[in-house]
Amino acid sequence: MDYLQTMLVFVVLTPGVVFAVFALLWLAGWVPAERVVSTITGAAFSASILALAVVLWRLAATGAPAVTVTFGSWFTVHDYRFPLVLMADRLSLPFLGMTVVLAGLIGQFSATYLHREPGFLRFFLLLHLFAFGSLLAFAAGSFDLLVAGWEIVGITSVLLIAFFQQRTAPVENALHVFAVYRACDIGLLVAVFAMHNWSGTASFAGGLPPLAGSRASTLCLLLLLAAAGKSAQVPFSGWLPRAMEGPTPSSAIFYGAISIHAGAYLLLRVQPMLAQSSLASAMVIAIGLATAIHGTMCGRASADAKTSLAYASLTQVGVVFVEIGIGWKSIALAHILGHATVRTLQFLRAPSMLHDYHTMHSAVGGELSPTGKHLEELFSARAQLWLYRWSLDRGHLDTILDRFVIHPLMRLSRLFARLDSKGLDQSLSLREAPASTHIAAGREGI
Amino acid sequence: MPGDAMILTALAIGVPWAAAVLTAVIRRHSRVIGFAAASVSVAASLLLLRAAPVRESLNEALMVLFSCLTLGATLVLPRRDSNPGTISGILFLLGSTLLAYSTNNLWVLLSAWILSTVPFFPEQWFGARTWRPRLALLLSSAALALAITLIAVHGHAMSIAGLKGRSPGGMSVFGLLVLAVIFRKGICPAHAWVADAAEFGPAIPTALLLNGHFGAMLVAKLIMPLFPNTARDLFPLLSYLALATALYVAIRALTENSPRRLLAFLALSQSACILAGLESRTAEGITGALVHWFVVTVSTVGLFGVLRLLEVRFGENLTASRYLGLAQHAPRLAVFFIVFALALVGLPGTLSFCSQDLLIHGTLESHPQTGLLLPIATAMNAVSVFRLFARLFLGKRRTGFTVMADALPRERWILTVGALFVVMGGLFPNAIVARRAAEAEAVEQAMCVPMPPLQLFTSPNGGRRQNLR
Repeated sequence: MDYLQTMLVFVVLTPGVVFAVFALLWLAGWVPAERVVSTITGAAFSASILALAVVLWRLAATGAPAVTVTFGSWFTVHDYRFPLVLMADRLSLPFLGMTVVLAGLIGQFSATYLHREPGFLRFFLLLHLFAFGSLLAFAAGSFDLLVAGWEIVGITSVLLIAFFQQRTAPVENALHVFAVYRACDIGLLVAVFAMHNWSGTASFAGGLPPLAGSRASTLCLLLLLAAAGKSAQVPFSGWLPRAMEGPTPSSAIFYGAISIHAGAYLLLRVQPMLAQSSLASAMVIAIGLATAIHGTMCGRASADAKTSLAYASLTQVGVVFVEIGIGWKSIALAHILGHATVRTLQFLRAPSMLHDYHTMHSAVGGELSPTGKHLEELFSARAQLWLYRWSLDRGHLDTILDRFVIHPLMRLSRLFARLDSKGLDQSLSLREAPASTHIAAGREGI
Repeated sequence: MPGDAMILTALAIGVPWAAAVLTAVIRRHSRVIGFAAASVSVAASLLLLRAAPVRESLNEALMVLFSCLTLGATLVLPRRDSNPGTISGILFLLGSTLLAYSTNNLWVLLSAWILSTVPFFPEQWFGARTWRPRLALLLSSAALALAITLIAVHGHAMSIAGLKGRSPGGMSVFGLLVLAVIFRKGICPAHAWVADAAEFGPAIPTALLLNGHFGAMLVAKLIMPLFPNTARDLFPLLSYLALATALYVAIRALTENSPRRLLAFLALSQSACILAGLESRTAEGITGALVHWFVVTVSTVGLFGVLRLLEVRFGENLTASRYLGLAQHAPRLAVFFIVFALALVGLPGTLSFCSQDLLIHGTLESHPQTGLLLPIATAMNAVSVFRLFARLFLGKRRTGFTVMADALPRERWILTVGALFVVMGGLFPNAIVARRAAEAEAVEQAMCVPMPPLQLFTSPNGGRRQNLR
């Protein structure tokens, strides 16, 4: 392994190792001081940024297309193997750079922002795990490994939404987001299976599997399902405002920068295959366009800063999807990098938004005009009212999901419960009592 | 069986049984005796595993797994439950289960099968207060007894090795064996007893009973080797039933509020996938099933263990209908719970990610349409288990009590070992997967009938994916 490969492995593994060490020490009973946590976080991400800069510099200097590290197979069964390949190419490097830089910045910001917060260590543990998952997904040389990183990003995202666990709303919303993620990830799992079956590998380190026609279309549509779920595209956009329940720094990095763009990364990764399927390309454009319109309308009717920013983010990611569908890879990449950086800054400034507004207001002499007013005026008063109601209910997406998916499923579940309870002695069923009556035990009987 | 192996097997089985009797008689130092006896079983099973050829080590590996689980159970068992009756029952179950895993004789297998259910009949021991668990266990034992009697009546030898590929007793015996699997494993429509047993029986012994996976063992050890032709033609029906069970129970779990029932449904749904994988007749599917067997067993026992520890701390009226906020009182128990929970549903970094990956590939390859049910069921299970975690551990901190113990060192370290198994196994899966792959090859070859792979997708390299023969 040459030093460039070592650097790449170092970048990917560092947050994972920091997470593992902190977690094990905590399990053993040690709770590190805030200063220790933030210092180690800063040092880890600084070292990662330096290592990645070296990789970037050497690749630019030598003109090599990529750094690839092959560890063989994670596990092998007969002729099925799970390749363990890391790769930093011209697509993944910008994403890797964005992740380490923004995660490092968020770490430094959060050291102050979450000072004396009871979940301080938990936040940093999840930040490191998230960074590890993201880096693994972006540096993966095969779709198998990408799935691993993808799932880690999903679960850390959910746990951070439920960060303020003493309130029930964040926890309920985390569950909602988790359900959407899991449902959409089925597309990714089946796509990986299909790749193995059709081309014998899901590795893209040496180029995408050579598939065309209906197979390429099927794969792209399955991957689009996963990408749409992760990037909150229509019709899965309902989870994004719910995700704003998490602490602001995590909202910034997840829904302003990295997690929200993971779907776009997946589509960029398969763009050559996407280009062969007019159906899939059209679907990507249609979904992106619908999301952009949905995002901008709902954002205008949002009453709080973070939700407005989330919808603004959604609008831009929708446009990125359109660009990918059209085939403008470089524009989409530049758009993602620019958007992620600006949006992170906006999210981090969100708690100070009123202060910023007043400063600007004073600076321009009290003449700040509300934005977007002219657009609304293009519609009749009746249409404006209808659009307002539509936007206020966030495009009725959650209502549709509830009515046509969740409620029928719950009804079915209750029907099964009734069937199961036939023959059960009702005097025995469900030993429920108010939680307040629980008798807590000390060490007696434990 | 060579002499050394015979002695080690006798030690692994006999010591727990002797200890069970000893505990019941002297009625003191139950945990110490249980720990010592289970340790002997672990050591003997490990030596057996070491001596066994890699391709034929499934039984020994299962012996190690179950004896380790029992060892863990004796340690993690709360003091309230650690009475002579419980410890002797657990040791009795250990001996019976190891006997079933290790035997090559049908009569002995039947005896072990019946003996393993004995503690779950009397209500004073591990018996649930409902009739369904007793009936299911009784019917499964009756079906197996009838099948073995029919084999004997037809004048066949009673050695499993000697009966391989001979379809002894024909369709009637095959049908009875499948019935035994359905009742014992809790395959739809005979699934309700599992939740009843978990709800109304003792948590940890019931988890051990369910995780002996006698149904899957019967499939791998008896049905597939003895009835290769019949299994090839008719076994997909059982696989469809298993997948339907996985989905049915996953849907059922979505609205369940009793933590014990919910965990039982999740365990049932995930373990039904084992049958589907075994039947897939692909290398990935069978290996995935065997690896999943290990993961489901450890995770389920871990989850039931944590739940029981919560019950003895916070009262037995835990419910998932409201937020209990227990994480702030017992953060380490919360972490163990979420690790085992996510390990049950295929989180990357845990061993079940590998087993689910293999299972999904195997089942989708052999049954492309019904195989899709597996990832769907797993996704629903993930939502249910996260809901349970959220309801138990998150929410507003409970007040009104002053003393609250998190995981005690004894519990913490044994739960850490379980968590490390699923996590380290996930990070370095090849050590476990490679061995299971070799065993899968033996299971597959036991069917020894060439068959074309059933594929919706055909690969451009002319059917690269082959079965193992």
